[in-house]
Amino acid sequence: METLISPIILYTFCVLGAAGLSLALPRRGSKLVPIGMILLGSAFAMVAVSFAWRASEPLTGGAGPGLFFYLFAAIALGASIRVITHPRPVYSALYFIMTIIASCGMYVLLGAEFVAFALVIIYAGAILITYLFVIMLATQAPTGTEDDMLDDTDAVAREPVVGSIVGFVLMGLISIMLLGGIETGKPGSIKPGDPGFQPDAVLASLPVKVDKVLRRANLIDADERVLRTEGGGGVFDAAARTITIEHTELGTTRVIGADNWPEELSAGNLDRLGWNLLHDHPMTIEIAGIILLMAMLGATVLARKHVELEDSLKAEQAKRLSGAQPRPSGGGAS
Amino acid sequence: MTPMLTLGVSEYALPASVLAPYLFVSAAMFAIGLIGFLTRKNLIIMFLCTELMFQAAGLALIAFGRHHLGEDGQTFVIFVLCVAAAEAAMALALVVLLFRRRETLSAEAWKELKG
Repeated sequence: METLISPIILYTFCVLGAAGLSLALPRRGSKLVPIGMILLGSAFAMVAVSFAWRASEPLTGGAGPGLFFYLFAAIALGASIRVITHPRPVYSALYFIMTIIASCGMYVLLGAEFVAFALVIIYAGAILITYLFVIMLATQAPTGTEDDMLDDTDAVAREPVVGSIVGFVLMGLISIMLLGGIETGKPGSIKPGDPGFQPDAVLASLPVKVDKVLRRANLIDADERVLRTEGGGGVFDAAARTITIEHTELGTTRVIGADNWPEELSAGNLDRLGWNLLHDHPMTIEIAGIILLMAMLGATVLARKHVELEDSLKAEQAKRLSGAQPRPSGGGAS
Repeated sequence: MTPMLTLGVSEYALPASVLAPYLFVSAAMFAIGLIGFLTRKNLIIMFLCTELMFQAAGLALIAFGRHHLGEDGQTFVIFVLCVAAAEAAMALALVVLLFRRRETLSAEAWKELKG
């Protein structure tokens, strides 16, 4: 079986990458960082060319990931390398935001729009801002000149060579396992036209949405609606593309066929993801809620600061507060 | 060239030759996160690197989800997002606590914690 990437290229990539990254990791007074970056860049470029060349072969049906994928992948990987090689934590966090946004681009290419936008809002907007706050709060005030402003914690990496070798050995193993398991030239497991492939089937569970779309397209009157089943779903055949409509007062039914099917009636990413999350995995939301609640309580308990006060001080504070409370408001009385 | 990846069209399952580069990027990002976790001394950067590994896992989940044309992968990524948010809150609270004790963010200031 021919693999999607030749093992020789993969192993060369691992060696080049390990060498480049161990040079690029921060060291005091190191002049080798640009050389390391060039090595890393050439390693990734080699793999990209290999994938592009393999995608142009007739064996794979000429299906490649497209130009945008290469662009986003380059930004994501370059920024993530900068996350771990930049000596200043604030810049690392900013590069991490760049990684997030580039991987959101890849999510959009994969048709996962909702997750992409949620990721931008939650990761880049909330989590990383918290990180930035903590970085700025928990950093010593800079002393001295530009060069020794960074202390050894940030300016010197711990065991860069061993770390890089271990990481890239792991990378090679993961790649061999992942890429060796999928066959070259195999199309996706489900193709359009398969009897099991009905992306719009979830619409049968959303009769109100179908009602709304049909009403907007003037296909049903005001007192008509999609015929409901006993479970609350609509009578809707995604394969044959027919919808059964009932008249709410007369009780008569008619069928809208494939000829009149409105164009905008299709289940998007949001419809299907929402149905999957709320109907197929409802427990997930409960568990996530409990995890978030516990994290909130835990963070409050961990980070709270004990304020030691003398008893006399406490009494004084209490007296001042109770004295301030019942003071009559001057404006209304006089 | 088949119209495999026009934007927003999720009606085609990814063929293996398109899935593979996504998995490679995911593996590379995971390895970079791991190397960062092993080599950097700053506690905050170490936690950033765990977030990087979460990202890599999420990319693999979504790519495989598209390969099989299901939404389970995306649902799981949303769950991972919740766990990452919770982890960030706890980790940063811990970092603030540790910084108050030693006035440094270095992981080596806590060497005596080794078994």
